[in-house]
Amino acid sequence: MNEVNKKGWTRLDNASKIFPSTSDHRDTKVFRISCELYEDVDPIILQQALDLSIESFPFYRSILRKGVFWYYFESSDILPKVELESQPICAPIYIKDRRNLLFRVVYYKKRINVETFHALCDGAGAIWFMETLIHHYISIKHRDDLGDNIPDLKYKASISEKMDDSFGRNYNKKQAKKIKSKEKRPSKSYQIRGTKNDEYKTKVVEASMSTNDLLNLAHEYDTTLTVFLASLLIYSIHKERPARMKNKPITLAVPINLRPFFNSTTARNFFSAMSITYDFKNNTPELENIIQSINKDFKDNLNEKELYSHLNKFMLWEQNPFTRIIPLPIKDFFIRVADKLNDIKTTSSISNVGKFNIPKEFKKYIRQFSICVSARRPLITLCSYEDRLVISFSSPFRETDIQRSFFQFLSHRGIEMEILSNL
Amino acid sequence: MQYCNHCKVYIRENKQKCTLCDNLLPNYDKVHIDNEYFPNIRPFYKKHLAIRIMLFISIVAVVISFAINMIFPSEINWPVLFLFGIISAWLGLIFIVQKRYHIPKKIIWQVLIISGLSIFWDWKTGWRGWSLDYIIPISCIAAMIIMYVTARIMKLSISNYITYTLIDGLFGIIPILFILFDWVKVKYPSIISVSLSIISLSAIFIFHGENIKKEINKRMHI
Repeated sequence: MNEVNKKGWTRLDNASKIFPSTSDHRDTKVFRISCELYEDVDPIILQQALDLSIESFPFYRSILRKGVFWYYFESSDILPKVELESQPICAPIYIKDRRNLLFRVVYYKKRINVETFHALCDGAGAIWFMETLIHHYISIKHRDDLGDNIPDLKYKASISEKMDDSFGRNYNKKQAKKIKSKEKRPSKSYQIRGTKNDEYKTKVVEASMSTNDLLNLAHEYDTTLTVFLASLLIYSIHKERPARMKNKPITLAVPINLRPFFNSTTARNFFSAMSITYDFKNNTPELENIIQSINKDFKDNLNEKELYSHLNKFMLWEQNPFTRIIPLPIKDFFIRVADKLNDIKTTSSISNVGKFNIPKEFKKYIRQFSICVSARRPLITLCSYEDRLVISFSSPFRETDIQRSFFQFLSHRGIEMEILSNL
Repeated sequence: MQYCNHCKVYIRENKQKCTLCDNLLPNYDKVHIDNEYFPNIRPFYKKHLAIRIMLFISIVAVVISFAINMIFPSEINWPVLFLFGIISAWLGLIFIVQKRYHIPKKIIWQVLIISGLSIFWDWKTGWRGWSLDYIIPISCIAAMIIMYVTARIMKLSISNYITYTLIDGLFGIIPILFILFDWVKVKYPSIISVSLSIISLSAIFIFHGENIKKEINKRMHI
């Protein structure tokens, strides 16, 4: 039996711990995965699909509660209900003392959206849930059409594997203590400023394009897709910032899915974040040079040793007896302060959550998948499905200069794009 | 789908201006704006208008009362009492709104606020002892009854209210001090509060001892 069912509650994993303390109505720490079909969504079938999917993800029926020292997940008997979209993108999910599930499934015309509070799971976990939901939805909706061709749903992991706290499992105290932390980031990076959207709404601009076209362009620069887009983001931010700020370094936070490195199949959080910086004071602002430097940063950070030391460093903080006995309200306060200090070091972020795996038979019903997040500053998230890659720019600001600069660069290099925006 | 010649991108939704460069699109005069991909969401602020109006009225009333008192001085400083009255009402309201998702917690907070305010008012108006005589024991008794009734009506699970019943039970025993130290003139509300608390605490420990242990383990884990 799994941990939640046996005890009725479970601890938050290492990465989850930060989200309840730092979420507010401006940055709700909610992310949205959307699936756009070719026809309107049928809510009754979507509900059936959701009922089936939740069976494979019992952990998603947890609610978040406050203890004296830590937050914890409590198992609940609440069943998720699909709803017609009626709130802004990534509206708050976790509200103190409210007993609700930490995700919601909403639909609007051709789109099915799954919005998740980040403490519950990361992008990879939510993609997996979305894949399951869409699998069930199409299997039911097009039962007659597909006939005997309905492919089996691949479970990939057992229920207990999905509930695994992979941070806790991979933590090694002895090794953690040996780590000498070296801060590579500059103490202050350039901060993007702008006019806030009304009611702190998130403005999302999503561009849908061919994965292969973009890959080819990245290969022209002799690099990978993520490195290319990260460099282009730095380049666009630099291009649009005021001249008096041009010397400040630009730092991107890049979340890394730790599952492939540590052989985990958890549906909860299991990611780390690396920082990549480009120093404009001592380097030229050419895209080629930025790519070169970012390429090196990626190579330095993306190895098992580095990731392992990163994981251990954060676990050491959590396991420290002093941090453990501090009452939750004080912990909340310190986490918020630390988060603010961390913000000053970061300009933006880019998160490539990867590919959706849906059986070939279903391809004709699905137009595209996309992912976006609540944002404290303009940032990029992307995901791909077959030959459709969607890059979403989430921003709390009205200005779209960086977005324009970024997407125009791609379109002027011959990439055909479709742009869609919510505000 | 429209095409922006400046940005060289297709614009999926029907709109007059390009999302990226804000220039008018070629067919701007023919578009029919429909919410094809995202719903049109009503502004949120209207819902809070009532609170803003109430806040405004409170401030106006306090200012006017002080002004009148300065122009026509009287022996008692009534505007200060009026100010405290309004602050008390707001304190109650804020906690009701903030804890509206968690009724047992809300009840406990109300007991604490009412007890605190009653002592304050009693003291400010020349200590006649009515706060200890009546208000504190009666609010403890009322809380216990309300907690039990809401738990039954709303079919709350044990873990939802047991901790708060425990806290209320412990709080309800405090009037025993009032009797022992002879702080109260009217004894029967305190006696009822103490006996009810002891009965409810013993019921909790006898029938839900396991649950209490579980709740404490959960809430106190380090």
